[in-house]
Amino acid sequence: MPEWTRERTWELLLAVILVGTVVYNASRSPVYLDVDNFVNLFRLSIEKVIVAVIMTFVIVNGEIDLSVASVMAFSACVLGAAYEAGVPFPLAIVLALVASAAAGFLQGQVIARTGISSLVVTLAGLIGFRGAARILLEDRSVGAFPEWFTDLGREDLLGPLPFALVLFLVFVVVAGVVLHRTAFGRGVFVIGDNADVARYSGIAVARTKVVLFTTSALVAGVAGVLFAARLGSVRANIAEGFELDIITMVLLGGVSIFGGSGTMLGVALAIGIVLNLRNGLGLANVEANTQTGVIGALLIVSVLVQNLLDRLPLRRREAEA
Amino acid sequence: MSTPAAPLWIRPERIKELSLVGVIAVALVIFGFLVDDYYSGQFFNRITTSVVITAVLAVAQTMVVVTRNIDLSVGSIVGVSAYLTGQYAAAHPDASPVLAVGLALGIGALLGAVNGLLVAYGRVPAIIVTLGTLAIYRSWLVSHAEARTITADSLPSWVVDLPTRTVVSVGSLDVRAVFFVVVVIVALLAAGMQRLRWGRRLYAIGSNPEAAAQAGLPTRRLVFGAFVACGALSGLAGFLFLARFGTITVVAGQGLELDSVAAAVVGGVSVLGGSGTLVGALLGAVLIDVLDQSLVRVPQVSEFWRNAILGALILAAVIADVAIGRRFRRRWSAEARPHTKVTEDEPADPAPALEASDA
Amino acid sequence: MRGISKRFGATRALDGVSLELAPAEVHALVGENGAGKSTLIKVMTGIHAPDEGTVEIDGEPVTLRNAADAQARGIAAIYQEPLIFPDLSVAENVFIGHRDQGRVVRWRRMNEEARAILARLDVHLDPRMPASGLPVASQQAVEIAKAISLDVRVLIMDEPTAALSAHEVDRLFRQVRRLRDEGVAVLFISHRLDEVFEIADRISVFRDGRHVATHARDGVTRSRLIAEMVGREQADFYARTEHHAADVVLAVTDLGRTGRFSGVSFEVRKGEVLGLAGLVGAGRTDVALALFGIAPAEAGTIELGGRPVHITSPRQAMDLGLAYLSEDRRHVGLSLVQSVTSNITLPVLRRYTSRLGLVDRGAERQAAEEFRGRLGIRTTGLNQPVGLLSGGNQQKTMLAKWLNTEPTVLILDEPTRGIDVGAKADVHHLVDDLARAGVAIVLISSDLPEVLAMSDRVLVMREGEQTGLFERAEASQERVMTAAVGET
Repeated sequence: MPEWTRERTWELLLAVILVGTVVYNASRSPVYLDVDNFVNLFRLSIEKVIVAVIMTFVIVNGEIDLSVASVMAFSACVLGAAYEAGVPFPLAIVLALVASAAAGFLQGQVIARTGISSLVVTLAGLIGFRGAARILLEDRSVGAFPEWFTDLGREDLLGPLPFALVLFLVFVVVAGVVLHRTAFGRGVFVIGDNADVARYSGIAVARTKVVLFTTSALVAGVAGVLFAARLGSVRANIAEGFELDIITMVLLGGVSIFGGSGTMLGVALAIGIVLNLRNGLGLANVEANTQTGVIGALLIVSVLVQNLLDRLPLRRREAEA
Repeated sequence: MSTPAAPLWIRPERIKELSLVGVIAVALVIFGFLVDDYYSGQFFNRITTSVVITAVLAVAQTMVVVTRNIDLSVGSIVGVSAYLTGQYAAAHPDASPVLAVGLALGIGALLGAVNGLLVAYGRVPAIIVTLGTLAIYRSWLVSHAEARTITADSLPSWVVDLPTRTVVSVGSLDVRAVFFVVVVIVALLAAGMQRLRWGRRLYAIGSNPEAAAQAGLPTRRLVFGAFVACGALSGLAGFLFLARFGTITVVAGQGLELDSVAAAVVGGVSVLGGSGTLVGALLGAVLIDVLDQSLVRVPQVSEFWRNAILGALILAAVIADVAIGRRFRRRWSAEARPHTKVTEDEPADPAPALEASDA
Repeated sequence: MRGISKRFGATRALDGVSLELAPAEVHALVGENGAGKSTLIKVMTGIHAPDEGTVEIDGEPVTLRNAADAQARGIAAIYQEPLIFPDLSVAENVFIGHRDQGRVVRWRRMNEEARAILARLDVHLDPRMPASGLPVASQQAVEIAKAISLDVRVLIMDEPTAALSAHEVDRLFRQVRRLRDEGVAVLFISHRLDEVFEIADRISVFRDGRHVATHARDGVTRSRLIAEMVGREQADFYARTEHHAADVVLAVTDLGRTGRFSGVSFEVRKGEVLGLAGLVGAGRTDVALALFGIAPAEAGTIELGGRPVHITSPRQAMDLGLAYLSEDRRHVGLSLVQSVTSNITLPVLRRYTSRLGLVDRGAERQAAEEFRGRLGIRTTGLNQPVGLLSGGNQQKTMLAKWLNTEPTVLILDEPTRGIDVGAKADVHHLVDDLARAGVAIVLISSDLPEVLAMSDRVLVMREGEQTGLFERAEASQERVMTAAVGET
């Protein structure tokens, strides 16, 4: 089974699981199939979901970004602290985004120029940017944001679809196109498969990595701002533990942790599964923490299964070559 | 090939450890200026009490990291172990302390074994496994605890009094029993890593996994063992956690995994595996704790700077390690060593000039 | 009598090969690239199982299950790039895995024993030093020490001298003789015939996966060996039509890079094939990497079309009209999971993107189709991951990739290595076509007949230096080989 078909197979499998999850949940709760319910699903998790989309690029590239949740908090705290200090709100938003992008740029430069593994650098980022968030807001909470801002999170924009959901749909489509249909996206895949081949073929490896980590942090920054809009207030400890759901969404989506393969469609399906899973478990009165445990198990299982599948074609590959 | 220039031979690990001691000393001096009454017996006692948990975890993490893996679930293992041991001790106040400690170790070892199985035999990368078990173990704890908290007054007195028990007092400096025991354990383990066969083999696996397999080392069993050991030590840390805080909620230990990795990295343990010592990790934990405790007392700096400084510290430690490593390597060798990580300015090693025909 | 005899046939790689090693002998194995030597090593060390035939030790057939098993039976191999643990000390590297001295490591004893073994090899190292700090020659010595501590009976050395200086080679030979005198059978694989004649007791020749002959060292001449290594009909295999060389398009003067090569000067004209001959490790690939911007030159000048340039990146090199087909297609030449099409278009992907930045897959596929037809790439589909193709077709894909960049100067590094005869012929024809079309070609090859047949001029390198530059008429196998291996 060539890689190509393997990805299609995985997507098919995910689609089946997704449908199964929805059907199961619907059978247990009559309101499940309401459009409102689905819309709500996304609205409540919009931050994780858009970061998962960008994380796909990072992991396909053969790297990982553990700092996203912390950057989310950092961005939200920059927003809150600036607003608290009297900065006009739109400017505060811009500051938050610029700060996040800078954070990602810093990490990207270190990773691309020194060759230190992204695991370590973004782990330092995870700790450091959470710390920066705490420096900004200490243990305070900042709220009372302008109404137009908080309404953004709650009210509907396009028919029944809120701003957040529209944003996600546009984002995932654009991201999918960039990943699968542009030269840049092709470069991301090749670097993830084999950075040396990419280099020998004239692809700017270091530049790609810096761009990816900057964008990753920027999107996390946007997520942080969205979080502020949804919650109506910000603290330094928001988004703790988000990276688990995010990484699970990506790996469950069929993206290989080693880089070089995966599809945005798979990740989109996996996002659907994770969201519905959490929702269904919630409706069944399973606590948030237990839900997290289930997600953790899902993460491990998805890589285990990928490993098993990888062993089969590999045997055939060696015989032919 | 002539003998190396230095007539006095110091292992590179010793150099790292000594420089850590140096950094700690410098930090102590600087803080001495910034803080009034800095050098007090009370301070010493506070540090020795607070460092033990992180120290044990740093050592646990190091055992896994030298094999080129990582364990992010140690925080959750601490929580589970602390809680269950607390429950047991509260329910059986007359039970022997040895049993309680054994329980903590056993729980940790079991949880570590799950990690080890998945990493060594399931071939799932450690970052994934332990990210998952971090969540799984914690969620199990939450559902098991059902929002009940272990409170200090429910615990037998020997547990609660443990942190303050002293072995010997020198003036106002108390050498706490717990501190003493932990140092002994670390010393024993460090000796084991340096002198016992399994210890050296752990380093070999991290240093060059292919060579390790070629040399016939039982890599899977060894990696499994490393995770079990890490888990057991985390269990012990859980017991220490219980003793120190008494009140155990379901979020006990959350975030400690980051501290353990930070301490190890700052202590000179390379994330790529193969190098770094337990003593170094211990010193890393001490340095971080000294910074923690000292910053609190500097009036200009708020406690909220802690994480940011820690993050910057890790980054600095890793970059310094890489930079120094490169300079030493150039001095020692005429040829670059194979399998170095490729960066933009260093060319990828062209294909080995073997006749690597596909025939 | 201790010894190993092998009879087997594995089609393609080894065909009914039998080889006998006696104890206390240095047995050299010579043959060109692709002759089957590395496959034989893999069988002997238990990495591959033979399809047919047996391995016998002391007359008893044995099955080697894996590397550890072979090691336990006293068969060890040392490769050109030593497999060591960089973070462990020298002594540990010597003893780890087998003589770890029980549970507790006795450092002092281990260090002393390591020092002693190494001293016997005339190597004086501090055994406490981390192995990463050692030069390759010493790392090799450590591996030999390891083999000795293993009570090795058969020691295979694969191109051990490629990275060594003359002085270190002498010392290596003393070590080898010592081992032989202690009863070890040493299988010494090398391209360097003068060394072979110096160290070997018997010499065996492989060619195209077959065992051609075994001689006692005094019973054969160098030219006879070369003939046996190379002997094949030179019929239609090589394609050579009249080339009309035009202007000089690439001129290199006194090019150098510390530790790799120095003093290299040559010119290449449009429509000309410049062969770059020499042994493995002579520095030819390093020259190519310098031209292509991957490991830029530190001395000397490069002129393209008369203008001096300073090439620091592959992208720049490509923009200047250079293309480099690397010698290791699996690790740096092709992205194995990507499709054939995708590999072919990779360096010039922007050519296939529309204004919006989207890749025009139709245009891509068309380009790939053209190359498939032109080069005869055999695959079940252009969407196939290129890792599934056979060696020859992978090579053709890599060729297509670089031809697609429409280069003015094409550097080919071992373009016919490890591919079947039919594909080789195809490649040769292609090179000839390209030359006729006006492309300047630099052909790096360790296949001597190939270099001689295909080139208009031949440049020879040895140990990083340029040792000869011959016109087609004056280039003979003898002359080139002599320049490549040095004086006898």
